[in-house]
Amino acid sequence: MTGPRLVSILRQGSYLIASIHTALDDTEMTAFQHDLVERIGRDRARGVVIDVAALDVLDSFASWTLRTIGEVARLRGAVTVVVGIQPEVAFAMVALGMDTGSVRTALDLEEGLAFLDRVVGPRRPATATRGGPA
Amino acid sequence: MPRVEAAEWVGGPPVRDSDAVAALIPMVRRIVAARVADVTAAEDLVQETLARVLAASGRVEPGMLEPYAIATARNVVATAWREQDRQRRNQHRVVDLTAPDLPEGGLLAEEERSAVAAALARLSERDRQALIAHEVSGRDTRSLAAELGSTAGAVAAQLHRARARLRVEYLLARDRTEPPTDRCRPVLFALSSGDRRRQREVDAGRHLLECDVCAALGQPLLERAPQRDDEVRIPIGGDADVVAARQAARELAGRLDCFSPTDLTLLATAVSEVTRNIVKFAGSGEVVVEVLDEPRRGVQVTARDAGPGIPDVERALQDGYSTYAGLGLGLPGARRLMDEFAIASEVGRGTTVTMTRWCGDR
Repeated sequence: MTGPRLVSILRQGSYLIASIHTALDDTEMTAFQHDLVERIGRDRARGVVIDVAALDVLDSFASWTLRTIGEVARLRGAVTVVVGIQPEVAFAMVALGMDTGSVRTALDLEEGLAFLDRVVGPRRPATATRGGPA
Repeated sequence: MPRVEAAEWVGGPPVRDSDAVAALIPMVRRIVAARVADVTAAEDLVQETLARVLAASGRVEPGMLEPYAIATARNVVATAWREQDRQRRNQHRVVDLTAPDLPEGGLLAEEERSAVAAALARLSERDRQALIAHEVSGRDTRSLAAELGSTAGAVAAQLHRARARLRVEYLLARDRTEPPTDRCRPVLFALSSGDRRRQREVDAGRHLLECDVCAALGQPLLERAPQRDDEVRIPIGGDADVVAARQAARELAGRLDCFSPTDLTLLATAVSEVTRNIVKFAGSGEVVVEVLDEPRRGVQVTARDAGPGIPDVERALQDGYSTYAGLGLGLPGARRLMDEFAIASEVGRGTTVTMTRWCGDR
């Protein structure tokens, strides 16, 4: 893929911080899902933060993908928290009848990390593999 | 807190040699705005002026940059006016008559002539004579009206219709095509005359999706129509167009100044859902977003495809009904997000979703 990166997946200790930088189409959203799930195993992540603050729309497919990521991550032993859902986007999701299901949400990155620290427990940064852009 | 193990790349230091030109921006804006009413057109001209001044800044003495910018701005505006006027006068022509001379030019010109002749032959005698008198002999509508015992306005309307028909017949003759269905000529004529009401009556949008011949022939006719700033048409052919359609809808509705950010997000989400349905089930289609003034101000979205159609529309509108990986919230969700929602589907012919969001209350 050329041009600016659409998403980034950064490792911070035993957490992965996945940020979506721009509107993704369904194919890109699915690719993001695969990359992230793969990284959970490779980086032995125990917590995942998905930052969607840059998204102006979370429609049924995007919401469904976030749910899927959360469920798959749970089966892979990681806790997922979605952060940064914009107020208008939240209104639209409610009107649409969408939800993130069992996936936890938090206001912003800070709250999301605090949540993971409570649930997963802080841990020394792993040194086996080095995180980098996905 | 642990260290984040990657850093965002930051751009280099800003270039500083254009400060003198940057200082001229407010003045150039004033000069252009005083002459050009349209804000976006004015901004284009401002940018063009600045680009020219910047290019010349090395040659112009320091103290003379301001008068140079003033003269440049005036010239740029005058050129734009001339260009606009030329386009207006030639708007009814399908062909660009200023095409450059090419080796095969003679041959093309010959084909061109025979196509025009064939097209003229297909007009009614009355239309043909009026057109020739006006376009070739240069008679004005008033003298033609006097001769025919009619009014100048009626003659102008007749000429308008005759030109629209001539364009259609010219395109058919040029491509040596006979339209495959009875509906083709009325649809092409409606496109050619730029009559939106007529286009709706003959359901031109649907026909263009169904008929490849008309889709190809209609292209130059659609491109001829003046760019409307209260309507966008997004051809849908893949995933990426879902994003394009919802962004276009948000952009157009945002210009109305009557929708809150939440309204715009609801609209964009609904567009996303119906556009995805086109991609999933029909593969291709189109989404048209237009501003409505009647019966109230609002935004209307029409999503149409010539796909397989929906066998059971009632069921498709129920929550949880889905034939693909999703939550089955596409159509019912979109209906909840909009004020008006209508769906027409015919198995084997395709689906059209029309939905509206009104300005103001709700």
